[in-house]
Amino acid sequence: MKELLKNILDYLELKVSYADLRFVQTEKENIEVENGILSSYNVSTNRGVGIRVLVDGCWGFAASNILDKISLLETATKALGIAQASALTKKEETMLASEDKHIDTYITPITKNPFQVSPAEKIDLLVKATKIMLKDKVKKSEGTFSFYKTHKMFISTDGSEIEQTIFESGGGIAAYAIGEGDFQKRSYPSSFGGDYATRGYEFIEEMKLLENAERISEEANQLLVAPPAPEGIMDIVLGGSQLALQVHESCGHPVELDRVLGKEISYAGGSFLSLDKLNNFSYGSPEVTIVADAAVPGGLGTFGYDDEGVPATKNYLVNKGKFVGYLMSREDAFKLGLKSNGAARAENWNRIPLVRMTNINLLPGNLELDELIGDIKEGLYLDYNKSWSIDDKRLNFQFGTEIAREIKNGKLGEIYKNAVYQGITPEFWHSCDGITHKKYWKVWGVPNCGKGQPSQAMHVGHGTSQARFRKIKVGASK
Amino acid sequence: MKDINSGKELIDKIKSFIQDYNFEIIAIETKSELTRFAESYIHQNVAESNLDLTVKVINKDRIGVVEMNNIDDHTISKNIEKAIEIIKISPKLDYHYRLITPQLYRIKSKFSEQTANFTPINRAQLINQLIEEINRRGYEAAGAFKTEVSTLLVANSEGVFAFDRGTKVDFNCVITRDNSTAHTSFIDSDINNFNINKVTDELLETALKNVEQTEINLGVYTVILSPEAVSDILNYTGYTAFNGKMIMEGKSFVSHNRSKKIFPEAITVTDDPFDELTLPIPFDLVGYPREKIYLIKDGVVEDGVYDHLTALKYNRKCTGNTLPPEHASFGALPFNLVMKEGDNSFEEMVSSTKRGIYISRLHYVNILNPMSVQLTGTTRDGTFLIENGKMIRAIKNMRFNISVIDMLKAVDMISKERQTKSGFVGPTVAPYLRTNNFTFSSKTKF
Repeated sequence: MKELLKNILDYLELKVSYADLRFVQTEKENIEVENGILSSYNVSTNRGVGIRVLVDGCWGFAASNILDKISLLETATKALGIAQASALTKKEETMLASEDKHIDTYITPITKNPFQVSPAEKIDLLVKATKIMLKDKVKKSEGTFSFYKTHKMFISTDGSEIEQTIFESGGGIAAYAIGEGDFQKRSYPSSFGGDYATRGYEFIEEMKLLENAERISEEANQLLVAPPAPEGIMDIVLGGSQLALQVHESCGHPVELDRVLGKEISYAGGSFLSLDKLNNFSYGSPEVTIVADAAVPGGLGTFGYDDEGVPATKNYLVNKGKFVGYLMSREDAFKLGLKSNGAARAENWNRIPLVRMTNINLLPGNLELDELIGDIKEGLYLDYNKSWSIDDKRLNFQFGTEIAREIKNGKLGEIYKNAVYQGITPEFWHSCDGITHKKYWKVWGVPNCGKGQPSQAMHVGHGTSQARFRKIKVGASK
Repeated sequence: MKDINSGKELIDKIKSFIQDYNFEIIAIETKSELTRFAESYIHQNVAESNLDLTVKVINKDRIGVVEMNNIDDHTISKNIEKAIEIIKISPKLDYHYRLITPQLYRIKSKFSEQTANFTPINRAQLINQLIEEINRRGYEAAGAFKTEVSTLLVANSEGVFAFDRGTKVDFNCVITRDNSTAHTSFIDSDINNFNINKVTDELLETALKNVEQTEINLGVYTVILSPEAVSDILNYTGYTAFNGKMIMEGKSFVSHNRSKKIFPEAITVTDDPFDELTLPIPFDLVGYPREKIYLIKDGVVEDGVYDHLTALKYNRKCTGNTLPPEHASFGALPFNLVMKEGDNSFEEMVSSTKRGIYISRLHYVNILNPMSVQLTGTTRDGTFLIENGKMIRAIKNMRFNISVIDMLKAVDMISKERQTKSGFVGPTVAPYLRTNNFTFSSKTKF
């Protein structure tokens, strides 16, 4: 395949100022179990080539699943024609930030290849876990595993030749307690399909699904008869899973430089973190330091190189409360006179790289969990996302969680259901006055971050522990 | 797949590898091109050609599913071997899986040769025309313009063979100048129905009014929703309330309210591939013909939509809403949501409003409480205060928290005019709607 790609690159070389070709082949296995019965076992293979060209400062991209030389030459020619069409509205030359030539390979380090674990073992684990959860009012339980092996080959007119093999494993379980006119869901280890990582089957084994299934079921049953969360202004602690979503929506997306430059304005929206705010804006309290780290071991947004051939890096986005960095592609970095920090990622061969999150991590603090909670007289502990929404500048947000627990005089108390909290992004992060120690910290995997037209779902990670926020508006969905 | 014959050849080829097992096959071929513009120039411009093939092998209530996008003999054969391995190790389903028998299809997708042959240059020319006029008026334009040909083939070992090809034009645009913004969107099968001058005029008309936005107090308001906003609300409602699987599991508002008259008589919502304004999807992903399904009829809650698996499991009738196997565990979604028109003009709706708000677009709608169909989201790109029958000024965007049930109960006017807008599966046909129960819970600063 590499020789074929090189032939196409040779064909393009004299016609373009820049071109890259990506061959991507993904094997995926998806297993779903409901109420102890296997409901779905899907295996898929998908591959193709995407060709991106920059001609006279204008982009063209074409992609095909037919991989013989004639078809790929046609695809390359199509990309050239599309670049010509783009030139009709040209305002200025699109330029790319410089990048070194890289000839390299990268393979996700894994202990246990998930595709070599027997299907029976995987099914059996989900069957057992979902059976354990069927207690009292839990009338429905579900469990899911997904495994990916993605082989990527990237070559460009810059001379880069990069091959990567990325393994991803993930899944989780959920219990639904169903009553007359209400149902309550509890998920483990995280909501919306569980937790994911660039790791092997060892990641699934470490989840300890069987050990947690009964607790999840009990919590779902308790939630069904629990009172709704109280309304008011109070102190809250966000658990790691919910805090991951908070970081994702209120930091990860607004630091995407393409949003800031207006490239997503018609669809996903813009960002309040305008260019004048870089190094000149107080995003949060001094407790808040957020990094983009595409090299953190096991993170779902961990790789060797992004889809423009830029190596994985670690960069500060927010440093002790101050806004200091964007996520950037080569094109957008050039506009700021910077180098790309390796955040241009494509969902698959048939999509162009866009500025995407990698692992956006809130660095841990130095408090024990008891200390974090202990300093709250009256408040709520909220965790496991149930609902999320944020405005098109990423300021006004409202999130709901699966479970809330009362905090009274520094101790956890009663369970509440249907909790929601609202805020304005910088005000919220300024109210953060404590984050737990690194022993509570882990990277959560979010496999469904949506962006772009045509839409692209990206796999990203968020490192969090627990954090405390003062005087937050809370309530309950009706 | 050049035509129906090449579709038949593909099925015959796959059959030869499956041998004696029962099967279902789905082939979806897409040739899609999309031009994206922002800051008044084309910044992304892409084309894709792909064929996704799904083969479901079935043996005595055991199912193995394989998906691939390479249809050479070796790949098909290897994948079918995998599917057979899966059925050998799979436990049995907890219901009897039956294949459907050959069906009659009463409709076809809409197809336009002009759309199929529309080129990147053609799209760029129209975008350029829009940009020039928008720039001349001091605004910047951003949006996306897609033209697509898609072919769907569904077949099974009982003799089902359903083949369909359709085209789609999908355009959206936001124009901006400081805090003044406006949005419009267009969906059709035929590029000849796309009028760039009309789109430009609509954008400018809204944007020129959407200036110097002021804050208003939070609370419950009378609201007129645009078809775009109504479409968003209907789609999330379809997702959480009218999914037959959730209904049967007792997780939907419909589970406990079938046959109850809950809404005003003027409210009728259907999943209707026959509506003249929709882009029909003629059959579902197991080959069931699509039919008109009443979700709410004259204010009465009817039922939801059912996929083949849920119908088999709960002994219901499949309504032709089966999703692809990768989404099968979700249940079903309406494919062609339609809200029945009313008697009023939009102008009458505004002129008869003493105090209210007009919402032209919603942003990031999501479900807060699935059982009560409580939704949240914010307004964007043009929200206006109405007083004494006139839109008097633009207001800043706000977050809403609404129960769709309460909101629909309080609908008192529906427009005659309906528009075709994006939906979760096929497009949605929606009118303007006036409701006296719409709660704003927090403010934005823009």
